[in-house]
Amino acid sequence: MAVPATAPERDDAAAPTAADVTETAALKRPRVKKSVSTWLWNIAVLIVTLGLWQVATALVGSPFFPGPVAIARAFVDLVQAGDTSGITLWEHAWASITRVMVGFALAILFGVPLGIFMGLYPRTYENSRVILEPFRFIPPIAWIPLAIIFFSGMPRFAFLIFLGAFFPIFTAAMVGVARVEPIHRKVGLVFGASKSWIIRHIVLPTILPDILGGMRVGLGAAWLTIVAAELAGGISTGLGRMMVNYAELVQIPQVVVGMLLIGAIGFLMNEALLLLEKRLFRWRWQVTL
Amino acid sequence: MAMAGDLISDSGNSSAAAAPKLRVDESHCYGDFLVHEGIRFDVRENEFLCVCGPSGCGKTTLLDILSGNMKPTQGSVKLDGHEINPRRDRVSFVFQEPSTLPWLTVRDNVSTGLRIRRTDAAERDRQVDAIIGMVGLKGFEDHYPHQISGGMKQRVAIARAFVIDADLILMDEPFVSLDQPTRERMQREVLDVWERRRRTVIFVTHNIEEAVFLGDRIIVLSTKPARIVADIAIPLDRPRDPLSTDFIALRTQCSEKLHAMQA
Ligand SMILES: Nc1ncnc2c1ncn2[C@@H]1O[C@H](COP(=O)(O)OP(=O)(O)OP(=O)(O)O)[C@@H](O)[C@H]1O
Ligand SMILES: [Mg+2]
Repeated sequence: MAVPATAPERDDAAAPTAADVTETAALKRPRVKKSVSTWLWNIAVLIVTLGLWQVATALVGSPFFPGPVAIARAFVDLVQAGDTSGITLWEHAWASITRVMVGFALAILFGVPLGIFMGLYPRTYENSRVILEPFRFIPPIAWIPLAIIFFSGMPRFAFLIFLGAFFPIFTAAMVGVARVEPIHRKVGLVFGASKSWIIRHIVLPTILPDILGGMRVGLGAAWLTIVAAELAGGISTGLGRMMVNYAELVQIPQVVVGMLLIGAIGFLMNEALLLLEKRLFRWRWQVTL
Repeated sequence: MAMAGDLISDSGNSSAAAAPKLRVDESHCYGDFLVHEGIRFDVRENEFLCVCGPSGCGKTTLLDILSGNMKPTQGSVKLDGHEINPRRDRVSFVFQEPSTLPWLTVRDNVSTGLRIRRTDAAERDRQVDAIIGMVGLKGFEDHYPHQISGGMKQRVAIARAFVIDADLILMDEPFVSLDQPTRERMQREVLDVWERRRRTVIFVTHNIEEAVFLGDRIIVLSTKPARIVADIAIPLDRPRDPLSTDFIALRTQCSEKLHAMQA
């Protein structure tokens, strides 16, 4: 912690004492930094795993058990030439990503304000629990049959993704509001703040970390739902669709490419949210995992 | 902004002369439980009034009522002749518990009241810089509360209360969680800031010594229900010497009131 560069105006009691400064240094937030060695270890673990896998496939020698080389070849093939109908891997991936983004955005758009509202007026939640709670326990996948009947194309996916992502975001926002410290609200009230000022400047900053946490859970749910939703017929794009096509042809490397790409995209989205969290919440003690 | 210089002439019970800044006349119940009974007093402009009383007697309740955020069951609190209203009147508050907002830097914490009142940004920065210098937090403007000590956080809360051009500053046992040397330092700091920027201050404490050291006047409350059992002027010059005979005499007088009432 830096000792103030400019000396305080007065050199008497009001100046931060040595005790203040040491205490401050002791309170410094413990940082979990990703060191270079962590990166090197991750790369080493990756290489060893791929090597062992390749050796194992060579020993087995079966087309049902492809190794990294076969999968890489399938990957390059899918990127360059596309699948059996000429749709490239990126087109499939992009189709899935846009569907997730639209549904996810809708979930934020409805989940956050509704969560804040029901958090501020708990009676509204208590009085509608009978609908909200059972709804939460219907998995989005269970909605697929109805979604197929009622919607097609983007609305179908957006609807299903929305159902998957809504509840984690809504619940996080609502529970967050209940945890706003009464003293923080009182600070606003006592200095003459309006209700809307308190919502914007006290409630929102308090629950933003919860909302981002809810978003990460919601994103996981959304990404799970999209693949299942794409397995259903009537569409030609999407990673789920591509995987089913190749599974029907018993071309396992292409199926695995789809699986790995789904994992990688989910991972990157989560990392992006984590990065956002770190940027936004420098004021927090906790290191998010 | 009233700065140091416009000193008040004397302390004491001369409230009859000018119209009082604050006129309190209230009784309050929490459900069936009577906390305040016939609490009646006036406060002069720029007076530093201390309120003493045993724990749980209703001091925080009194400040909540004075701030206008809680309506007394009976009676009223009048500031400059009208019913107090936190949305319109400038009231500020230093709380008993830690109250800095952890997501704001020291600077933004201090400017909270100014931002609520939409003070012009340049003017706001000027005032915030000045008060941050006064409470000795220069160089810590961009720190977050978790990066500074408890005493420094309390100074942030004090700066936040003093930076707005408040008609009334309410302080609720602000130093209760601090150790003795820090507490003494903070007492001098508050007096220092108050002397530079005269305001009407109501300072709650259960520490008689502190009250006699700080106040122009002390009100002693009884408990269950709270009534005013003493209203004592402290006509001592500042800085006060806690070892002087006058100081000790006044302190003893207040302690006796408090103890007589508790017996
Ligand atoms: N919201 C409330 N509802 C019911 N009773 C309350 C409430 N707030 C305070 N009380 C009661 O009113 C009395 C006065 O409380 P208050 O917090 O004003 O005391 P205090 O003088 O500030 O005490 P301390 O010195 O310990 O801070 C206490 O007996 C308390 O139990
Ligand atoms: Mg209290």
